[in-house]
Amino acid sequence: MSEPALLSCSGLGKRFGGLVAVEDIDLEVQAGEILGVIGPNGAGKSTTFSMIAGALPWSTGSLRFNGENLDGLPTHAMAARGIMRTFQHNKPFASMSVRENVMVGMHTQFSGSLWRVLLGMRSAAKAEREAVRRADELVDFVGLSEWRDADVGTLSFGQGRLLEIARGLASEPKLMLFDEPAAGLTPSECDRLSAIIRQISRRGIAVLLIEHDMRFLMALADRVVVLNFGRKIAQGTPAEVQADAGVVSAYLGDVGALADA
Amino acid sequence: MKSLAGFIVSALVLSAIAFMLGSYQTDVYRKMLLWVTLALSYNFLFGIAGQVAFSHFTFYGIGAYAIVILIFQVGLPLPLAILVGIAICVLLALVVAIPATRLAGFYLALATLAFAQLFIVVLDEGGSVTGSAGGLANYRLPDFFGTKVSGPSYTVVIVMLMLATLAILWRLDRSWFGRACRAVRDDPEAAQAMGINVARTKIVAYTVTSALAGVAGMAYAFVDNTVNPPIFGLENSFMLLFMVIVGGSGRHAGAIVGAALLYVMPLVLSPIIGHHHALVFGVFMVAVVLFQPKGLIGIWDWFKLQLERRSQV
Repeated sequence: MSEPALLSCSGLGKRFGGLVAVEDIDLEVQAGEILGVIGPNGAGKSTTFSMIAGALPWSTGSLRFNGENLDGLPTHAMAARGIMRTFQHNKPFASMSVRENVMVGMHTQFSGSLWRVLLGMRSAAKAEREAVRRADELVDFVGLSEWRDADVGTLSFGQGRLLEIARGLASEPKLMLFDEPAAGLTPSECDRLSAIIRQISRRGIAVLLIEHDMRFLMALADRVVVLNFGRKIAQGTPAEVQADAGVVSAYLGDVGALADA
Repeated sequence: MKSLAGFIVSALVLSAIAFMLGSYQTDVYRKMLLWVTLALSYNFLFGIAGQVAFSHFTFYGIGAYAIVILIFQVGLPLPLAILVGIAICVLLALVVAIPATRLAGFYLALATLAFAQLFIVVLDEGGSVTGSAGGLANYRLPDFFGTKVSGPSYTVVIVMLMLATLAILWRLDRSWFGRACRAVRDDPEAAQAMGINVARTKIVAYTVTSALAGVAGMAYAFVDNTVNPPIFGLENSFMLLFMVIVGGSGRHAGAIVGAALLYVMPLVLSPIIGHHHALVFGVFMVAVVLFQPKGLIGIWDWFKLQLERRSQV
């Protein structure tokens, strides 16, 4: 880890009134790496996720991304810097087709002013055609080609998850955040998802994965961070974490499940 | 290019109609075109950007009063008065939008409703500047660069204004900005995560559409050659909402159909059934909302779908 990390959290913490949800979290994500974050319910996974996604301001500590301090930035500004996310309960834009949803994901790429649009500049029309082409590529990438023009309401939950991924990738992010992506998917959909996440990381995009499903996460992650009661209790390769006695006793408990994984 | 040809044909046809009408018909035609213009911009604000604002007709009034006051009391030449009038609309829209678009749904509706009421109070209390309750009258459109514009040629001006408004909104709708507006309406949280500045998108949508309403108001000022407070009351703000909903919220064609129909309906019905036309209006509104929630344009969509299916079989 000689290169500076793409994302580094140091001493990150969140208090809700008197309740300490997350305390003193240090974690780093390198470019192209898949970092898994696990922990039992209430461990602070979702809070940590929300802070990194810019949806929740942190109370203490700092977050650096690509050499820049992100303190106090609004959500949309974090997205503009290359941090994209998926939502656990899929949040598609309901009035739009699959393709249009993906095109919304390209928002940060459209830097042209409104005047260009209003004056009907060729550059604006060209950018628009290019956006359609790229959207179709991404729709193909996640395997929704047949549903390109479909109303998002007609997609299954699993397809909706794939759309979330295509939409997130549309802005060409440096870091993709996945909020329990395997939740609610069938086993075969999970396999597809694993393959897609691997391909994303092969494109050089860092992946931060928060997940309940051990089997899914351990097979996918390069490194794993374990949270419990709002604190980091271990980190390392999946094998190291699974062998860590502290993790096993404090969190995993069920050693049988580990042996399966 | 297809849409450009469509615009040129529409401009020619709608302008040609202007030369075939008597004075009463001209009045109806001009006002119908202005209602369509307003409904188009309100459709963008309400239907596409999802802002339940009741200030749209107020900006129509602001534009109308501004142009009259700027020309006949301040003494500005017409082209300059138009520019200053637009600037006033943009400024006032920003003043309303910056705090109000932080609100959503019900609260935005209330805030803009208050603004609409405030405008009427200002008009009533405006002394000789606004002409108080009696408004301003007895003025005529000044010559535009030495040419007198009146009769059918003024109707053509309104036709062009309507088409220009449609062209602007059309372009906005089909750009990244239109997508951002729809995204903010559908799911602000997801829109933010996609890098969309939600507050800014709302403010720009509100300001652009309000300014367009203001320009339509400027054209209106020389249709009746009088502006007074009752014209710009709340009733008409609600009328705009009905027009957009009946026609088909979020669709340009819907706004056109809804505005033309609801404006003309009472004019056609009242000679036949007198005041009962209000009853027909009410029943019609309820029927559309209940049976055709996508608006009248939904019927057209249905027919198109049937035709496509038929041709596939």
